[in-house]
Amino acid sequence: MAQSPVSIYYPANAGGLRAAVAAEGTLDMAEELTSKSCVEYVIDIVSLSKTFKRCSLKKSDYTTVKSRLLNLFKGRPHSAATVDALSNITIRVPKGASFGIIGRNGSGKSTLLKIITGIYKPTSGVVNVSGRVSALIELGAGFHPDFSGRENIFLGGALHGLANREIEERFEEIVNFAGLEEVIDDPVRTYSSGMYMRLGFSLAVHTDPDILLVDEVLSVGDASFVTKCKDKIDALRKEGKTLLLVSHDLAAVERWCDEVLWLEKGKEMDRGNPRRVIDAYRSWIEKGEEKELVEDAAKDRESEEDGSVGLFRRWGSREIEIISIRTLNADMKESLMFHTGESLSIEIKYRTNQDVDDRVFGVGINRLDGLVVLGSNTDLERVDVPPDKKEGRVLYKIMSLDLAEGTYSVDAAVHRSDGYPYDYHQAAVKFMVKSPFNQAGVYLPEHKWEFGDL
Amino acid sequence: MQTFATEIYNYKSLIFALTKRHLAQRYRGSLLGFLWSFINPLCLMLVYALVFKYYIRFSAVDHYAIFLFTGLLPWLWFVSSLTEGVGSIVASGHLVTKAMFPAHVLPLVAVLTNLVNFILSLPLLFVFMAFYGVDFYPTLFALPALIALQAVFTYGLGLALASLNVYYRDVQHILGNVLNFLFFLCPILYPVDVVPERLRFTLDFNPLAVFTTGYHKIILDGALPSLLSWAFLLFSSLCALVLGIAIYNKNHETFAELL
Repeated sequence: MAQSPVSIYYPANAGGLRAAVAAEGTLDMAEELTSKSCVEYVIDIVSLSKTFKRCSLKKSDYTTVKSRLLNLFKGRPHSAATVDALSNITIRVPKGASFGIIGRNGSGKSTLLKIITGIYKPTSGVVNVSGRVSALIELGAGFHPDFSGRENIFLGGALHGLANREIEERFEEIVNFAGLEEVIDDPVRTYSSGMYMRLGFSLAVHTDPDILLVDEVLSVGDASFVTKCKDKIDALRKEGKTLLLVSHDLAAVERWCDEVLWLEKGKEMDRGNPRRVIDAYRSWIEKGEEKELVEDAAKDRESEEDGSVGLFRRWGSREIEIISIRTLNADMKESLMFHTGESLSIEIKYRTNQDVDDRVFGVGINRLDGLVVLGSNTDLERVDVPPDKKEGRVLYKIMSLDLAEGTYSVDAAVHRSDGYPYDYHQAAVKFMVKSPFNQAGVYLPEHKWEFGDL
Repeated sequence: MQTFATEIYNYKSLIFALTKRHLAQRYRGSLLGFLWSFINPLCLMLVYALVFKYYIRFSAVDHYAIFLFTGLLPWLWFVSSLTEGVGSIVASGHLVTKAMFPAHVLPLVAVLTNLVNFILSLPLLFVFMAFYGVDFYPTLFALPALIALQAVFTYGLGLALASLNVYYRDVQHILGNVLNFLFFLCPILYPVDVVPERLRFTLDFNPLAVFTTGYHKIILDGALPSLLSWAFLLFSSLCALVLGIAIYNKNHETFAELL
């Protein structure tokens, strides 16, 4: 629990000088930085960086007295690889505002929260947090399974820095909110995980916090309790409490936050208006997924070549050879990421090695679980294939890709009308479809709902 | 030092709750419950009494069993506080990494938990004394002062060891061996008089030995330790405390990262 106000100043790269400099320069620097504006920031973080020593369980990296001594004798400097968990982050949250932090796993969100709560110390930068902080990070951290809910409330409250008297005053309210009146004297180990979470949440919001740090806790518990939690957080916001929300639930972030920071590998990618930042984050994530698809496809091809098992398969006598298969978007550019309703073209480039009369081009789209979404060829559709060329390109143009969200694979082949394959590529390309909502099944036609009287 | 005291004051309800929890936890689920805090030292005392009084026929003191018990109880308090304290920060890693509270309360809780045990086992000693007809002296009123000094001394050492143990888990293993060694360097099994004059200094400069003789004097001899002894104990306790705080302050910022 942070006592108010907390102010910590750490000069960059000061090493051993840290304590001395912090003692002398601390308050002046912090004050100077905050007094420049009239707005009162309850969370005021300026150019914060955090470096961790890389922790490895490899024997040679593990420090024990023995290894320290050995290193001493060998004269090897005691150095460890470092990881920049956060670099140059500035966050200023005015009193009563709501601030959101988004980013992928491992982007530094939790480290940031731990620095704000004071569990971790910054490597450099100014961290200024005023007021009582309540962290909904790990609900029920510190609960002891063998003790009753009642005992754990007192212990947990004390851990939050509350005096016994203060806990007594709130006890009823905590228990009622969690809805655990009947089991409060049972050992916590007999609670369901939902009850455990409820007790943890209830305790944390009843510690009379000025700043509420919320980390992914809204995704736990049954629907009715989640609603209750959200209502409670709404109520606390109305009382003028400051909220710092870390979540993968982008809708919640968008609904609650006045400002959003997007972290990636400890660096600020973007910040500002929640709508804009979240949109930027979403499309960036999609791009990342697309890149993964490309890498996946490359790996699949490799595994085919070296004989190991992948999705990709190729067979045929190669009188006609398929050189490339691509999926193109409306601009006829190669793409692996499509939105429902967009246009998609399957492009097959081929080369003729030996003249043949009977040529059929075929395409197929399958869902990754093997469901055939479509499978057709020029023979079935009685399409005239133009006379033999040395090289050529075939396009299968889908005007509107009415598929539900998911990943799909493309088959392409050239064969005789009796099925004898010249060149057959299975799962040659994988593409992804994004849709604005999740539905069941595979077909998502353009549609609307209408309501009327009988 | 001052922020330290403030933090301890601010978190007094946490210290209280943790101490209560540790005490409850220790005997929860055991049939005899709290009686174990009497039975454990009693068994140890019986073994030593058997060996030294009846096997070795050690006869330098009257009421050897009571002499032994008087020295053994504070020693056991010291040992159990340290052995629990050394691992206290590491053992509570789940709290240190998830909640913001001063970790230095953890070794303090170890000292207090065992202090409660120690104080509760004192009546047993007094019952024995009454049974064997040993006199009670008014010097007993000085006992709280000695206990307070030992608490500070133990806390200082515990804090230092617990902090170091976060970095080097070897500390807890080293501690066990050192404590075994120290036990025989304190006049618990033997009175100071039997130690040859030229080796007496090993007891004079060992705070634990001075504590032990202090208990003997106050409880059994009806005398107060010399002013010099008090001064030495006060000095040692403060040194231990300063050492503990210094080591803790130097390292505590990175505890959460290492746990």
